Amino acid sequence: MSDQYAGPRVSRGTLLKGSAVAAIGAMAVPDLAFGARTATPKRGGTLRAGFVGGGTAETLNPFLGVTPIDEARIQNLYDPLVVVNADLTRGPGLALEWTHNKDATVWEVKLRPGVTFHNGKSFGAEDVIWSIQQMAGKTSAALPFVSAIKLGELKAVNKLTVRIPLKAADADLSGNFTYYNTWIVPKGQTAKDYKKPIGTGPFMAQSFTPGRQSVFTKNPNYWVSGKPYVDSLKITSIDDNTARLNALLSGQIDAMAQLPTQQAKAHAATKDINVLVAPSPQAMMFYMDTTKAPFTDPRVTLAIKLIADRKALVESAISGYGTVGNDIFGAGLPFYDKSLPQREQDIDKAKSLLKAAGQSDLKIQLSTSPIFPGFVEAATLLAQQAKQAGVTMNLKQVPPNSYYNPSLLYLKMPFAETQWPISSLKFFFLQALATDAPYNETHWKSKPWNDLLAKAIAEPNKAKAQSLWNQVQKIQYDTGGYLNWTNADWVDGLSKKVQGLKPSAAGVLGNYRFLDAWLA
Amino acid sequence: MTTVAAPVARSREASPLLRFAGRRLLGAVVALFVASLVIFAGTQLLPGDAASVVLGRNGNPATVKLLHQQLNLDRPAWQQYVDWITGLLHGDLGNSAVGMAQGATSAPIWPLISDAVVNSVILALITALLMIPLSLGLGVVAAVLRGKWPDHVISVASLAAIALPEFVIGSLLIGVFFVGLDWLPPVAIVAPGASPLDDPEKLVLPVATLLLASLAAGIRMVRAGMIEVLQTEYVQTARLNGVSERRVLWRYALRNALPTSVQILAQNLQWLIGGIIITENVFAYPGIGSTLVVAVQNRDLTLVMSVSMLIAVVYVLLNLVADLFVMLLVPKLREPA
Repeated sequence: MSDQYAGPRVSRGTLLKGSAVAAIGAMAVPDLAFGARTATPKRGGTLRAGFVGGGTAETLNPFLGVTPIDEARIQNLYDPLVVVNADLTRGPGLALEWTHNKDATVWEVKLRPGVTFHNGKSFGAEDVIWSIQQMAGKTSAALPFVSAIKLGELKAVNKLTVRIPLKAADADLSGNFTYYNTWIVPKGQTAKDYKKPIGTGPFMAQSFTPGRQSVFTKNPNYWVSGKPYVDSLKITSIDDNTARLNALLSGQIDAMAQLPTQQAKAHAATKDINVLVAPSPQAMMFYMDTTKAPFTDPRVTLAIKLIADRKALVESAISGYGTVGNDIFGAGLPFYDKSLPQREQDIDKAKSLLKAAGQSDLKIQLSTSPIFPGFVEAATLLAQQAKQAGVTMNLKQVPPNSYYNPSLLYLKMPFAETQWPISSLKFFFLQALATDAPYNETHWKSKPWNDLLAKAIAEPNKAKAQSLWNQVQKIQYDTGGYLNWTNADWVDGLSKKVQGLKPSAAGVLGNYRFLDAWLA
Repeated sequence: MTTVAAPVARSREASPLLRFAGRRLLGAVVALFVASLVIFAGTQLLPGDAASVVLGRNGNPATVKLLHQQLNLDRPAWQQYVDWITGLLHGDLGNSAVGMAQGATSAPIWPLISDAVVNSVILALITALLMIPLSLGLGVVAAVLRGKWPDHVISVASLAAIALPEFVIGSLLIGVFFVGLDWLPPVAIVAPGASPLDDPEKLVLPVATLLLASLAAGIRMVRAGMIEVLQTEYVQTARLNGVSERRVLWRYALRNALPTSVQILAQNLQWLIGGIIITENVFAYPGIGSTLVVAVQNRDLTLVMSVSMLIAVVYVLLNLVADLFVMLLVPKLREPA
């Protein structure tokens, strides 16, 4: 498959493979053998999955989806231009080839021929242009991914080729189209059509009741031949964590995403369900506002990073379902700097840094919230670890609803926690650390660093790009405001009859690839 | 909220029953008006709004402001209240703020919740139909056999149940009947458009949870009322006159213990509405309770307000019905004083 996928992406993918494959290998727990069993897939049946619901806010509109249940549906109704593989390499989706001019300011994308929408209309360049225009809509969640595109100059070179001119050079444009908010809809599909929308995906919308349930049927003309295996896909909103697990245990659903880690441990032992575990670049972090004292002093932020016993955090806050983080972001993704030494707990060094900064008796407030499993536990443990270095961290638990709400607490807490499902380095940096980043949790602002980032993004030569990216990451590693304590695993629960779903670093439930699933 | 001995004014024109009903109705309207103010004020106090929730972390001040304008959230609070209440009086529950925030030109609330309302009503009706005879029956048994073992069993069991919140009772029942015995399903998922009655097995644990949580108060009150009446002179006299014990119990004692019990049962039914919200969540039952919980999380304020208002109407109606029922049971209330 990757052979037909020409363009600059391929070699970068291979470069990355080393680390990602190693990561996937590390999770080959005996329990997972069911994924690898090579029985002949059976056809037919209904696959039933349960997710935390979003009430009436649930949507089939790819440009509006914000929660995992939206993502699950969108990834099965539509197709992406680029597919993110289980090892985080990229493969062809609706786009086959990405080529750019010399300075990476104009791209041409060759599209897959012979693909049809659910209504029989054939897929082509106009649909991609339309979709990109929708992504740039004012309330679109995909806006940051297309903000560098000159929308007015998008052009269908022919039926299956799109020309995408950029405002600023970007040597990795396909990386903008991996996230589910950037999936492709047919030309002319607007907000009012999303009750029963059309896509090219493996499943077709049959019914959808927001907050309750959706029923999709198999797309018989799907371009991946022979797939999907099941006849229909039923996705149900079950808000309560225990109720969702009970539904799985009693056979009322076949799959649930994000099993609470303690439950996962218990059920991996009793083996009454299959626990699907995939190491991922999902970062769980503490963050410090680098514009607020005492975090204006990089010696203080470094000391806090040295206080953390990451192994203990992973063991107790997320039951061991994660690998230790290294204060940079996106482990396993292209350009991630593997050469930086793993940061370990060093209380003596932390103490001497704090002394040098005149903060030997440091007292700070750490804001936490039960919005994400493990947050409160991690904060509690970090506060205990901090005592060894003479640092007093007072925990402040705030309501989940205000934690990520920009009009309330988000970006206003000097020392708090966050979680990022990182799909590419570029996007994490653009969204969290660049000068005009919308979610600048650490309030990081540095002109030279920002210029370095722009250079790294624009550099077409991959070796040069890697060295630029390494500089970008080293600065964050040394002086940034993030303490990334883990890259947490995706942990899901599957009934014993579900086969074919393989762990994927790219997302929960094998990155929602229900087209691979079959029922024994 | 209600009292049995409502003062009945002397009147020559209207019958006392009508006057009583009229007063109660007026009271109900006032109560609903006050409820609407409280509900509106309460939702205004919730931090955040649908705009920021729908946009999530994607929300920046510019897009949030744009959505505020689309949702009329930038208008003064009193104006929003007047709009809402005028709509309600015309039978229009309003538009879902979340639906509008997602770009729909109209997102009427009723179609979004009608299914859930029906599901909740089914759950509540089944529970009520079982609760009323069970509280009366068990209350009478406990009163008649006061101090004997059946009374102790009923009292201890109902006191234990009343001490536990619904989610604990629900979890215990799941523990016993699903994890332990594997007799009953631990969740009650109902497909949209399907009726929960298609698969009544699923309703057993939710109904049992609600019953256990709400029976106790009824039983205690019926028991207390019965004991009191059984000690009155007219019951003693009836017994001494050789009236059969059965007749004494059902015709003399229960009939006179009923008025207080009706009030308590009405309160129990109202309390059931609160219990339903929690129970639905425990069993993933798609009713009005789970709708309300998610609507609060989504800050879908119009949805929250309208659903709360529906619940308030049910509350007030239950009171009204209970009052009228008491009127019918107590002849004294029907006569001019």
